[in-house]
Amino acid sequence: MSKRHWPIFFLLLSSAVAFAQDDSAAPEFTVAAIDNQSRTLDEQVQDLKKLAVDLNRDLFLLEEELLFPANTQVAVFVSMDVGEFFALDSVEIKLDDKDVTNYLYTEREVDALLRGGVQRVFVGNLRAGEHELVAMFTGGGTHDRDYRRGASVVFDKGIGPKFIELTISDRENKLQPEFIIREWD
Amino acid sequence: MQHIGRRLFLTLLAVGGLTGIVNAELADTPAPDFVLKSVSGNNYRLSEYRGQVVLVSFWASWCGECRSQLEGLAALYERYEGAGLEMLAVSLDREQSQVSDAARAIGVGFPTLHDVGGDVGEQYDVRKLPYVVLIDRDGTIRSEYTGYRRGQEDQYLQRARELLAE
Repeated sequence: MSKRHWPIFFLLLSSAVAFAQDDSAAPEFTVAAIDNQSRTLDEQVQDLKKLAVDLNRDLFLLEEELLFPANTQVAVFVSMDVGEFFALDSVEIKLDDKDVTNYLYTEREVDALLRGGVQRVFVGNLRAGEHELVAMFTGGGTHDRDYRRGASVVFDKGIGPKFIELTISDRENKLQPEFIIREWD
Repeated sequence: MQHIGRRLFLTLLAVGGLTGIVNAELADTPAPDFVLKSVSGNNYRLSEYRGQVVLVSFWASWCGECRSQLEGLAALYERYEGAGLEMLAVSLDREQSQVSDAARAIGVGFPTLHDVGGDVGEQYDVRKLPYVVLIDRDGTIRSEYTGYRRGQEDQYLQRARELLAE
């Protein structure tokens, strides 16, 4: 190799070394980066989902507060205890002689109530003062007989929200279901 | 060229009419939830089927096409119930006895529900019977079919398979 070829030789050598370094670093960079990127993307998606859930919850609460302000809100809940003498089919609720809800229960819903669940069957607004609630329960009684029973309560609606619970329980000594309406304090 | 375009349009319209894919207003919208009493006395809520592919057929006992369709659907249900395809028949008849008599005569093996006040029919904007909607696992209406011709179950099945595979 003549002296005038030395610069070209060094130039080629340095290029080759640089290329080799790039080449060796490349696979490590791509695998790790893709792994990191996908993890970051996954975390971002999870964060977004959480944000959407939080936002949905806040909107729901805000909507409830706007539609049913605490000073006029009245909510009715249904619960069951034992339920050997009554198979719940539907609940019809009247407030001041006006139909407000007629709820049909599926097998799953009845099962959830029997396991201790409490269902909010109605939420609405009422002005302060005296009101009457009538609940009509239909379902199957003992010996597969159709059963329809009503229960009513006159309650006083104050400034705060009013919560009323309709409880279906068994009256063992009479082998009959019992329908109780009570106000939450 | 214009002549060809018009002929093509008329052909497509005729094919669309024959295959029954007419109403596409509810497609890709969330299926309105409902709870109805079945002829067996149990209540069924559509939202409880979330996670499964559901075929809902609106029908009436006085509709001949509906009865033929239900016969086909009953056979389909027997074969594909295990694969996760659920079916609900919603009758728009006035009397409960009409629904139960017809369901018994046809031998429908899936829940036959009675839309007493016609509210569910209104929610789904049923204009002609029979009317079928296919709902995916997320509770979205994915296909609608109005009217019926014999053998159309294959079309439902093909679409249901696609939805089951998603």
